[in-house]
Amino acid sequence: MIRISGLSFKYDGGREEALKNIDITVCKGDFFGVIGSSGAGKTTLLHAINGIIPHHFHGDYYGSVEVNGLDTIDNKPEQLAGTVGSVRQDFESQMVSSVVEDEILFGLENFSVPRDEIEKRMTDALDKTGIRNLRERNIATLSGGQKQKVAISAIIALMPDVLVLDEPTGELDPQSSRQIFQLLGELNEKHGITIVVVEQKIMLLCEFARSLAVMDRGRVVLNGPVSEVLKSSREMESAGVNCPRVVTLADRLRNENLYMGPVPVNIPEAENMVRSTTL
Amino acid sequence: MGGFLDYSPGDSFLHRLNPLAKIFLSLMLSVSCFVTDSSIFCLMIILLNIAMAAVAGISSRALAMLRTLIKFCAFLFFIQVFFIREGNILLSLPFNVYVTDKGAMFSLMMVLRLIGATLPLALMLSITKMNDLSNVLVERVGIPYKYAFSLTTAIRFIPVFTAEMAGIMEAQTARGVAFDTKNIFKKIGLIFPLCVPLLITSVRKIEGAAISAELRGFNCRKRESGYKSYPFKTADIGVSIFALTLAVAGVFIPF
Amino acid sequence: MIRFDNVSYSTNGIKIISDVSFELKKGDFTALIGANGAGKSTVARLCNGLLKPSRGAVNVGGFDTALVRTSRIAKFTGFLFQDPDRQICKNRVRDEIRFSLECVMEDRAEIEMRCERTLKAFSLDGERDPFSMSRGERQRLVLASILATEPELLLLDEPTTGLDYRECMHIMECISVINRKGATVLMVSHDMEIVQDFTREVMVLNDGSLLAHGRTKDIIRDESLLARASLLPPQITELALRLGAGYENVITVDDMVSAVKKKRGGAE
Ligand SMILES: Nc1ncnc2c1ncn2[C@@H]1O[C@H](COP(=O)(O)OP(=O)(O)OP(=O)(O)O)[C@@H](O)[C@H]1O
Ligand SMILES: Nc1ncnc2c1ncn2[C@@H]1O[C@H](COP(=O)(O)OP(=O)(O)OP(=O)(O)O)[C@@H](O)[C@H]1O
Ligand SMILES: [Mg+2]
Ligand SMILES: [Mg+2]
Repeated sequence: MIRISGLSFKYDGGREEALKNIDITVCKGDFFGVIGSSGAGKTTLLHAINGIIPHHFHGDYYGSVEVNGLDTIDNKPEQLAGTVGSVRQDFESQMVSSVVEDEILFGLENFSVPRDEIEKRMTDALDKTGIRNLRERNIATLSGGQKQKVAISAIIALMPDVLVLDEPTGELDPQSSRQIFQLLGELNEKHGITIVVVEQKIMLLCEFARSLAVMDRGRVVLNGPVSEVLKSSREMESAGVNCPRVVTLADRLRNENLYMGPVPVNIPEAENMVRSTTL
Repeated sequence: MGGFLDYSPGDSFLHRLNPLAKIFLSLMLSVSCFVTDSSIFCLMIILLNIAMAAVAGISSRALAMLRTLIKFCAFLFFIQVFFIREGNILLSLPFNVYVTDKGAMFSLMMVLRLIGATLPLALMLSITKMNDLSNVLVERVGIPYKYAFSLTTAIRFIPVFTAEMAGIMEAQTARGVAFDTKNIFKKIGLIFPLCVPLLITSVRKIEGAAISAELRGFNCRKRESGYKSYPFKTADIGVSIFALTLAVAGVFIPF
Repeated sequence: MIRFDNVSYSTNGIKIISDVSFELKKGDFTALIGANGAGKSTVARLCNGLLKPSRGAVNVGGFDTALVRTSRIAKFTGFLFQDPDRQICKNRVRDEIRFSLECVMEDRAEIEMRCERTLKAFSLDGERDPFSMSRGERQRLVLASILATEPELLLLDEPTTGLDYRECMHIMECISVINRKGATVLMVSHDMEIVQDFTREVMVLNDGSLLAHGRTKDIIRDESLLARASLLPPQITELALRLGAGYENVITVDDMVSAVKKKRGGAE
C-alpha cells in the first residue's frame, strides 16, 4: 500500500511547487493510472514514491509518503529498492550496462536471486516484452522502442511488490504498448503486484487500470475508479487530457438518448454498445 | 554506430574464454610487444591479433581500428624520425633535416609496439561483457564488487562519452552547424562551444545511471550474488600458457 | 522533395533497410509507421544525409545526399530526433531557440522577432534552464525551436511522445499550418489517431522494407496490411471494421453517430 499525505514539493531553483498538497492512497494490489498535462508533476510524484525525492533531488518537502509501511524520508532509495521497482521516463539514462543481457542481470544479481532462478526470470522477462532475440545485442545499437523494452524487462524481472512506471510505452508501437499493459495486468492479477503507471495513452489506462488520477499543475484534480473519473470529461479536458474516443462516442449516444448502459472501455464493449443501439 | 570498444556479440572460441584468460592473453600480447627488440616479432603479434579478430568475427572492426592506429602512428613516426640524429644518414633533406638508420629503426619499433600493444586490449574489450569482467574480478580475484563495477564502468565510459559526443555533433549538424566540414580547424572551433553541454549531458547521464543503479539494488549486492560462475577450463589454461610463452619468447627472440 | 531509389542501408554487415523506393512531392504530409525496430528512424536519417545509403540513391530537394553535406541540407530541413535531449545545447530556453534560428538565417531583427513569437506561441518561459524541465516540456522546446525556422522540409521522429493530448493537438496544428504554407512533412509516429487526423499519406515499413505507400484513409482501414506490420488501426476505425456493413466510411466519432442514426432510421 502507498500512502501519500499532504505532500508538497518545490524543486531547488524551481519557480512554483511541482506538487501541491497531494493526498493519495494506492491500495495493495491496485492498478493505479496517472495521467495529466506535461509538467503537471507526474514524474515528481513517482520520484516521491521511489525515494529519489527527497534523497537525490533536493527542495522544499512537506508531508509524508509511505510505501508498504516504509517511510520514504527515513528509508533511502536503496532500502526501498527491494520493495519498489521503477522504470524511469528517461530510460536511456537508466541503462548501466552495454549489453542487453547484462542490463537484465544487473538487478537480479544485486538482489541475490538464486542462480537457477535467474535464467528463468531473465528469459521470461525478455519473452514477455518480445525481445528475446536482442539478448546478446549491444544496447547502443538498438532502436528507441527496443531500448524502452529492455528497460521494462530489467525491472519486470525483479518482481518487486510495487512497480512504478513512467510512460513505459512512450516510444512503443501500438501492439507492443498493449502487450506491455497486458503484461502489467497479468503481474497485477496473478502476483498481486501493486502498479502505479504514468501514461498518456488514455485508452490503455481505461482498459487496464482500476483507479485513475488526473493531475494538472501540481494538483490531483480527479482521483477514483476509472469509470467514475471518466464521467468528468469536462475536468479532464481542462487538465489537457482527452477521453478515449469510444467514451466520447458513448457520451454522444447518451446525449442523443440512444444509449443508457455503462461506459465502454475497450473495443468489444464498444461494439456491443453500438450493436445494442441499433437492435 | 558501434564504437571500437563496444561489445560485439558472438559465440566464438574467444568469446567463450574465461574473461580472466582473455584479459591475460591481451595483456601478455601487449607486454610481449614491449619487451621484444624484434620488429618481425611485433609484426607477427599484430598479425596474430588480426587472425584472432577474424576468429571472433570482428575482422572488419579490427581492420578499421588498425587503419586508424596507422594514421595516428604515421603522424608520430614522422615527428620522431626527424628528431633522432644518431646513426648513418639514410635520407638527407634540405634545412639540415635528415633521417638516420637508427632513427628510422627506432621510430618503426615505436610504432609497431604501439599498435601491437593497443590492438589486443581493444579487441578483448570488444568481445568481453563488462558484467562478466566485473564478476570475474569479484569471484576469482576477490576485488569488492563496488570497485570492480567502478572499474568496468570507467572502461565503458570511454565509448559512452564518444557516442555522446558523436550524438551531439550529429544533432547540431542536422540543425545546420557545419560539423561535417573538411577543415579541421574550423571543426575544432565549432566543437569548442559544445564542450559545456557535452559535459552537462554526460554528468547528467552518469548521475541518472547512478540513481537508477541505486533504485535497482546496487548497494544490496553481496559477493556471492553473481549469476554465472567462471571456472578455468582447459582451454583457458592453454591460452594462458600460450600467452605467457609468447611474452617470454619476446624477450629471447634473436632476430 | 524526397526521392529514394532502391535504397538499402547496412551496418556491420547487417541489412537494416532493404530496397526502399518512394517519392514525396513538395507539400506532402506523410506518416511513416511501423513496429519498433522496423527502421523508421533509419529512414529519417537517410533523408537528411546523416546516414548515407549503402546502395541506391537518396535525393532531397534536388541534392544527392551522398554528394552534399548534411549541414547544407539542414539549411532547408528541420529534423527532430527521437530523443530530443540530443539537440539541447544551451542552458536557457531563449538561447536554444535563437541558436536554431542563427543556424539558418542572418537577419538579427528577424531572429529576435521569431524567437519572441515562438516563445509565446508555445507558451515557453524564455529564462528557464532546459535541463530542469519535464520531458514533455523539453519536447515542446525542441519542436518549437525547429518549427521557428519554418523549414521547407520537416522530418519529425515521433514528435508527440511525452506530450499531453492538448499539446499534441496544438503542435500538430502548427505543423499543419506550416504544411499548408507549402512545406513537406514526413512524420514518424506510433499514434494512429494523429496519423489519421492529420496526414494525407502513409508509408508502412516492416523489417526494413516498404510494405505500402498510399492514402491515409485507405491504409488505415486495411487491417491485414496493418497486422502484417504489427500495427493496430485507430479505435473508431477498428470499431467500424468490426461492425461491418453500414459503417464503411466511418472515421470520426461524428461519422459513427450518424451511421448509428442512419441504421436505426433504416430499421424503424
Ligand atoms: N530538476 C528540476 N528543477 C526545477 N524544476 C523542475 C525540475 N524537474 C522538474 N521541474 C518542474 O516541475 C514540474 C513538474 O515536473 P514533472 O517532471 O514532474 O512533470 P511531468 O508531469 O512528469 O511532465 P511530463 O509529462 O512532461 O513528463 C514542471 O513544471 C517542471 O518544469
Ligand atoms: N549494429 C546493429 N546490429 C544489428 N542491428 C542493428 C544495428 N543497428 C541497428 N540495428 C537494427 O536496425 C533496426 C532499425 O532501427 P530504427 O532505429 O530505424 O528503428 P525504428 O523503426 O525507428 O524503431 P522505434 O520505433 O523503436 O524507434 C532495429 O531493429 C535495430 O535493432
Ligand atoms: Mg514526466
Ligand atoms: Mg525510431
